[in-house]
Amino acid sequence: MNAAIDSELLHRLLDEAFAPYPVTAETLDLKQEVRGNLTARAAELQAAGATAADAARSALAELGDIGALLGDVDGDAPADVSWAAEERRHRVRPKPAFAVRVAILAGVLAVDVVLLVLQFAGVIPRDELWIVGQLVAAIVLVGWIVADALRQETTTNYPVPRARALGFGVASSFLVAGAATLFPLSWGVNTAWVVILGLFVIIAIGLFVFLGVTATNRAKPWAVRLQASRSDVGDRFEKDPAAAARFGIYTVVIFAVAFIAFVVLSFTIGWAWSWLALVGGFLVMMLVLARMLFGESASKGGDR
Amino acid sequence: MTQNQGGDDSDVFAADLLRGHTDTIVLGVLRRGDSYGFEIFRAIREATGGAYEIKEATLYASYRRLEKDGLVEPYWGDETQGGRRKYYRLTDAGRAVYRRNVDAWVLTRGVIDNLLDTTGKA
Repeated sequence: MNAAIDSELLHRLLDEAFAPYPVTAETLDLKQEVRGNLTARAAELQAAGATAADAARSALAELGDIGALLGDVDGDAPADVSWAAEERRHRVRPKPAFAVRVAILAGVLAVDVVLLVLQFAGVIPRDELWIVGQLVAAIVLVGWIVADALRQETTTNYPVPRARALGFGVASSFLVAGAATLFPLSWGVNTAWVVILGLFVIIAIGLFVFLGVTATNRAKPWAVRLQASRSDVGDRFEKDPAAAARFGIYTVVIFAVAFIAFVVLSFTIGWAWSWLALVGGFLVMMLVLARMLFGESASKGGDR
Repeated sequence: MTQNQGGDDSDVFAADLLRGHTDTIVLGVLRRGDSYGFEIFRAIREATGGAYEIKEATLYASYRRLEKDGLVEPYWGDETQGGRRKYYRLTDAGRAVYRRNVDAWVLTRGVIDNLLDTTGKA
């Protein structure tokens, strides 16, 4: 009795049920979804003792009115709603406590970094214990600020779940920790520190990739609907994939040049200043990004 | 399964109350892990002890609404035989909306319990 379900009958009944409706991508998608669920329901009915044919028929009968499913789901956003007006209507102000907290943390971080740079440049006396403490502080602060910011609700986005926000914070901390190992490296090249630097950066990249790949939508329904109803809101890379590909190639070239410069400078001028090559590479990349995203479409005019 | 509609008035009332929370109920089921239509249907049926059934058509409408609002993300399973299953995954936005709706429900339940003076009665 527990034979395979009568899938041929099921398919035929499904075809009949969908026959009156126009064949669109949406109908086909729904039909496919219903088919999968009916198969599971028919199998259950059959396990309970129904014959294959009965199981298929009652599974379909239970479904109800297909026409109602194919009707439009309640309201797209009306076309005349402007993004600005909707944004004002759904406005979420930042929590005062969060704003104060981040302002203080950012201030402490800025002082911390300035003191590090001054010690490094020899303007104020260098104290290795202090430097270690300050580096640890910078690592913790960056992670804290990132995680805290992601936990906030904004006008268009819901807060990131706690575990994921923490993950982003930890990943950012590892990235800063990788950068921080450049300090001991500047005192003298040491294989152990090079390994630690590589390890930190790899952990950070691994975490970011994992979090990026598993990311799901966190935009609010009003923003999702409005964006779907007007496709022109997307940025340039979305509209012009070739531009995105070009940017990818530029980035690789910029960083290849920066890395070569970094190595060459390291062996000529020394570790103390060679890292500036990497910073320079990053700056050039950001400039290219800004220009490609906003510059050209603005100069074309009337594009928006 | 229309038999639930045929009961007395209190049955209909409870079914209506339940239906008003379909979206949140679906989000709640998906919180336990990705799932497809029939599995969600069965989870709800089991949770209600088989007393009330949310109609499948109601559920399909709910999936489409949730998908349109970005609260769930669909993807196709890789079943080789039978129909392929359309799975739904809860998004971060879906999680946040679920929490909000549950908080609202708990608050409302308390208020209604007070208003109806249900304490002391079984």
